[in-house]
Amino acid sequence: MGRSGRHTRAVISVLAAGVLVLTGCSSGGSKSGGNDKEQQENAERQKALIKFGDAAASKGPAAEVPGAKPGGTISVPARDSYAHLDPAQIYVFNEMGVALLLHRGLTGYKATSNDGKEHEVVGDLATDSGTTTDGGRTWKYTLKDGIKFQDGSAITSADIRHSVERLFAPFINQGPPYLQQWLADTPGSDYRKLLPDGPFKGKHLPDSVLETPDAKTVVFKFKKPHPDLPYALAMTGYAVVSQKGDTKEKYDKAPVVSGPYKIESFRSGKSMVLVKNTNWDPATDPIRHQYVDRFTITFNQQYEDSTKALVADSGTDRTAVSWQNSVDAGNLSKVLGDPKMKPRTVIGYQPFVGQININLSHKPMQDKKVREAIAYALPVSPFVRAYGGSAAMEVAGGIISPTVSGYDPSFDPWGKKKNPAGDPAKAKKLLEEAGKVGTKLTFGYVNSQEGQAYSTAMAAGLEKAGFDVQRQEIPAETYFDQVSKLNNNYDIFHTSWAADWPSASTVIPPLYDGRVIAEGAQNYSQVDDPRINSEIDRISRIADPAKAAAEWQKLAEYIVKDVVNIVPTAYYKQVQIAGSKVGGVVYDDVIGGVDPRRLYVK
Amino acid sequence: MWIRFKRDRTGVISAYVVAFFFLVGLLAPVIANLYGKNPYTVYADERPELFDSAGVPVQPNGGISGEFWFGLEPGNGYDVFTKLLYGIRTSLMISVAVTLATVLTGILLGVTAGYLGGRADYWISRVIDFLLAFPAQLFFIASMPVVVSLFVSPRDETPVYVRVVALILVQWFLGWMSLGRILRGTTLALREREFIDAAKVSGAPPGRIIRKEILPNVVTPILVQGTYMLPNFVTAEAGLSFLGVGIVEPTPDWGQMFAKASTELVMQNDITYMFFPGISMIVFIVAFNLLGDSVRDAFDPKTAR
Repeated sequence: MGRSGRHTRAVISVLAAGVLVLTGCSSGGSKSGGNDKEQQENAERQKALIKFGDAAASKGPAAEVPGAKPGGTISVPARDSYAHLDPAQIYVFNEMGVALLLHRGLTGYKATSNDGKEHEVVGDLATDSGTTTDGGRTWKYTLKDGIKFQDGSAITSADIRHSVERLFAPFINQGPPYLQQWLADTPGSDYRKLLPDGPFKGKHLPDSVLETPDAKTVVFKFKKPHPDLPYALAMTGYAVVSQKGDTKEKYDKAPVVSGPYKIESFRSGKSMVLVKNTNWDPATDPIRHQYVDRFTITFNQQYEDSTKALVADSGTDRTAVSWQNSVDAGNLSKVLGDPKMKPRTVIGYQPFVGQININLSHKPMQDKKVREAIAYALPVSPFVRAYGGSAAMEVAGGIISPTVSGYDPSFDPWGKKKNPAGDPAKAKKLLEEAGKVGTKLTFGYVNSQEGQAYSTAMAAGLEKAGFDVQRQEIPAETYFDQVSKLNNNYDIFHTSWAADWPSASTVIPPLYDGRVIAEGAQNYSQVDDPRINSEIDRISRIADPAKAAAEWQKLAEYIVKDVVNIVPTAYYKQVQIAGSKVGGVVYDDVIGGVDPRRLYVK
Repeated sequence: MWIRFKRDRTGVISAYVVAFFFLVGLLAPVIANLYGKNPYTVYADERPELFDSAGVPVQPNGGISGEFWFGLEPGNGYDVFTKLLYGIRTSLMISVAVTLATVLTGILLGVTAGYLGGRADYWISRVIDFLLAFPAQLFFIASMPVVVSLFVSPRDETPVYVRVVALILVQWFLGWMSLGRILRGTTLALREREFIDAAKVSGAPPGRIIRKEILPNVVTPILVQGTYMLPNFVTAEAGLSFLGVGIVEPTPDWGQMFAKASTELVMQNDITYMFFPGISMIVFIVAFNLLGDSVRDAFDPKTAR
């Protein structure tokens, strides 16, 4: 999943010296932490595989939210404006959130419980989550009756074909690449050669790749089995685009939507108003609701601002909830410690996992003992602290997130869960054995407030083990450009990654496949291990998702424990709050935030 | 003059306070050693039982206890007492260096301009005018990163001394003009006096005249200006570190402690923290300004304030 959504957490320090009035004393830190158990259980449930639903499960309308009633306006404070509204261009967090209300795809995630923890992939526009008879090479979808765009025109297989074919057009360059690569059967960006101009110059994908025999049927044909297709099609990037209403580049500002809400007005960087889409038929939609009359979204609301407004809970803020803004790190202890806030607070996992990359292109880092010493010595507690504590970050043992199938909570090779401050004594011993005491480590860190805080404490921990740590700040705006350069100066640096769907097949191949090392690519540690490469090929061909998940976890353990090109830091979590008059506030583990589809005004 | 100063009670008390701060700064390593801690230890990792997972000290008032006299800093849990000591040390060190540098430059250029007159006076005065027109704060903020980056090699951390040198350089660059101007004026007036003429007639070289005749007569403005400038430099340095372009973590610094105190984490959870850098700095600045007033009064009792 796109990175920009999470990483521009630019924290603006508030120069509020005037607050220092007569509050002579301050109470201590929060003594919370009791919900750790609950969190663990959440993860347990999540890791139970998300099933592919059948036709019955894909029938609308969606089950009523208990106590919900129609009407009212909900205001939504948001930090970042939406750069893209064309579904094929959407790959970042905040845009995926609003897309849940606007765009529909062939499949989607249906919440099967009212707490946002159990899900099923069902047919959204299609009658089921897809049928295959040959282990994932051919997938057949049949469209439902009565599905329409906002202009009242029916959604047909021609629209689906158009939506797929335009993914190959040059101006679509932000979305996920999976389906295109599978259809073209090539890695990287070579897929564009299959249909260089998209469908706009009269050329189309041949029936051997994508077949639409009638107005209701779509058949995908791959050369290799791709059992994950229903997951992939549930991504916003593969939602339907109207063939008639396609305005190419301009579609990005004014799309023809198919979901329960349409855009009434959008002023980029300022605000957006969503109103009900009257051409959306709830009987066709097993996933979404249409309780609220209007959503008014205001942009440029920093986390501190939205948190303070929602805590204060006055005026229109009582019917406000942010979809993406979490409680800022500074206010977190306070919000969690306030019993009045409890019913208005939701907590859950985000799909991101953080890791410290060890740059294997540097000679001193190629010594495994040195890497093991780093893994033992590195304190991860500073990272957790910098982002607000255990409610915002959970110490990670491995690289498979609790939200991904195959997660093993007991896997913790470097003892970080028990001792997050690291084990400098053990590390020192390893360094002495290797004769590498005093190894210089250039630590690239993002120059945000958090980066500053955790890098200093991490450096202190590593120095205790006998490393010579040189911290180097990197501006937040160019951070990923800098660290993804093949020839960079940094020995260690932090990045995070999220699975695109709950399978490690969207984590391990992009991050650790030695054949995808390239300028700007995501194999940040530049690891090229023959066993990882061959295992990726082998596991990608396993058709049974449960078996594949187990194998991915095994490979992940090999990477963390035996290759040691990375040290996992934390599983990202988030705490969100809502106004007192907002109902149906649920943290959805698949969305990684408040589920906007279930909201109503009390 | 010394007697006049001693009679001024405020001045004497201020002088003691100021001396105390300098002593604290000077002896920071000794005090920290006796106290058994240093400002670089990440207590949130060393003693995790004292903190919640967000790094907020569990005990009220930022974890003030017999062990940690001023409590612990929310976040990485540095010891506030030693951090303050070292912070005072850093800030005063930089400010004293800046004051010395500016005073020397001021004397050199001001006296030269005033004594030589003519073309030298014209050019030095234009340079002073030009530099005075610079918006000082903006210049500091903009030039600090540039000056720092001049020294840094790509694989190494920016060493602390580079930041210190850069801070001294930028503040010195825009700090000496006022003193220079005053000294130019005074020298200009002195130059026309009879005793200087007498010295000239008796064949004294210009260097000797400046050293023996002029400099002893400009000690008053130098001292008075110096005592006004130093607290200004302390606040300016603190301001730069507060804005994040001065001294950065983990090097302790007075101004940076204010920056820390203004973060949401500290503001919401440990307001007590603010008092240590805050009160100490207020006391220091007020005392130093009162001292400056007293010094001026002692030297020059006739002018009203």
